[in-house]
Amino acid sequence: MKQTLGEKCFQILNYAVLALLASTMIAPLLHLLAVSFSSPIAADSKKVFLIPVEFTFATWEHILQNEVLWRSFWITVFITVVGTLLSMLFTVLTAFPLSRKEFMLRKPIMLAIVITMIFNAPMIPFFLTVREVGLMDSIWALIIPGLISTFNMVIVRTFFMGIPDDLDDAARIDGCNEFRLLFQIYLQLSKPVLATIGLFYAVGYWNTFKTAVLFLRDPSLWPLQMRLRAFFTAEEELAAVDLIMGDFDFNTTTLKAATIIFATVPIVLVYPYLQKYFVKGAVLGSLKE
Amino acid sequence: MGGKTQQVFTQRSKALDRLNQNRLIRNIRKHWMLYLMIVPGIVYYIIFKYIPLLGSVIAFQDFQIFKGFLDSPWVGLDNFKFLFNYQDFHEVLRNTALIALYQLLFQFPAPIILALLFNEIRLLVFKRTLQSLFYLPHFLSWVVVGGIVFELLAQEGIINALREMVGLAPILFMQEEAYFRTIVVISGIWKEVGWGTIIYLAAITAINPSLYEAAVIDGANRLKQTMYITLPLMLPTITVLFLLNIGNFLELGFDQIYNLLTPMTYSVGDIIETYVYRAGVLQGQYSLTTAIGLFQSVIGFALLWIFNRLARKSEQGLW
Repeated sequence: MKQTLGEKCFQILNYAVLALLASTMIAPLLHLLAVSFSSPIAADSKKVFLIPVEFTFATWEHILQNEVLWRSFWITVFITVVGTLLSMLFTVLTAFPLSRKEFMLRKPIMLAIVITMIFNAPMIPFFLTVREVGLMDSIWALIIPGLISTFNMVIVRTFFMGIPDDLDDAARIDGCNEFRLLFQIYLQLSKPVLATIGLFYAVGYWNTFKTAVLFLRDPSLWPLQMRLRAFFTAEEELAAVDLIMGDFDFNTTTLKAATIIFATVPIVLVYPYLQKYFVKGAVLGSLKE
Repeated sequence: MGGKTQQVFTQRSKALDRLNQNRLIRNIRKHWMLYLMIVPGIVYYIIFKYIPLLGSVIAFQDFQIFKGFLDSPWVGLDNFKFLFNYQDFHEVLRNTALIALYQLLFQFPAPIILALLFNEIRLLVFKRTLQSLFYLPHFLSWVVVGGIVFELLAQEGIINALREMVGLAPILFMQEEAYFRTIVVISGIWKEVGWGTIIYLAAITAINPSLYEAAVIDGANRLKQTMYITLPLMLPTITVLFLLNIGNFLELGFDQIYNLLTPMTYSVGDIIETYVYRAGVLQGQYSLTTAIGLFQSVIGFALLWIFNRLARKSEQGLW
């Protein structure tokens, strides 16, 4: 195809602009990474861009020795692992009957569920309900109230509905009951979609914040995001040492940068591995019915 | 419909009901495992979705925590009357509506434009790399993104470092009211624009290539192809996403604002959700803040209804 001069110019410009914009997606993280390995003096005198200046491990040594941070880290790991597994179990158990034609209440139940997507309960009645259930100041408050994401449930249901019926017949002839049909046949065939919603749930749990703000008054239960927020708003807590007492090779600027990286690293690590799954999921879950 | 037909109709539907009941019982007997499977899900939706939804009635009560919403006294529309005469609420509502409007004007079209630009990239490796980078911020929490924003815009942050290099005085961005809403919109675009393109790119992929071939034969250049083929065929997707967006018009997302807000910027940045959190959860004004939440939902639903009617005129409504 022949290109006019204008189109050629546009092409070049387009590549350049998109490359520039894409670099702004990663540059802030690289910058903070550089800051976290720089001396506090360099960091505060605006010398650090993408490469550490006056390289030091001091900030990271201090961060990685912070027991409060590790405690929150492990709480987050716990809710991410346990929450994701429970969420997937509940999601699959709900999605399967709703994908079966022989399930007579399929339509009314599906409608009732979709309604909750349109009419969201206001924050306060939700808060009061969760409190009535007795989840206040319990880490289960981070898992149970958000156990099923309707969005994810619809993704799984759509996928189940796309599995050909002949399989069911074959299974039934083998004397396979519906639990076995789900767990031994459908789930085996649904690995890509399970990976997708697993990723969505895991990222959701890793980033849990609002439910922690609402339900956890006890700081010893705080998950990572909540702890970060506390560090950002009360800087002295982050330093956890009397900075006037002596010279340290870190300050709140480098510490904050390091905690941001600390919370981001796990996501960045699993990101390339799981990337192939989520795009499909984002499209699937969107609007199909 | 005549009265007679109506009668026959009712009789018939009653008979049908009975028939259905019997069928349901037989269905449950035969497929009891399916019914058993869905019980946990139903329990979940009732407790955490429907009870809070019904609990919204406390907006019409003077809710007292030890009486519960069954025994608290009813006050009709008093909470709403109070709200509309309440100065704080005016400010919060204005902030919410303005930020929502800015988001609609700038954040909503951003992924559409980006998807169109992506579509012009022929080099597949380049395209994939770009997409990977653009999707990444979606997976970061608002706490982290808020932290990044504060660090970058701090007095000794990189943005002020760059300003200094070209001889400009540093600005305390996060503490100044004038910048708050801009920061909200830009950080929102930064975090979600890439993710938002996924669905539009899928819509573009679904377009029949023969349309482009025909257009090329007719002498249409890339710009014309975009204007007259790509965009019109993306319109149904855009409409649906617009409607879904408008239904949550006043729900800006608690996490983002809460993590960007400082007491210095309350006057421009305090929105319904942050206000409801402070006044409701922290101070216990349950009925009043539920009234705000209900008001928010009603506005969202009204907007959805209006725009859906408009969209239906071009046969593209949600229902």
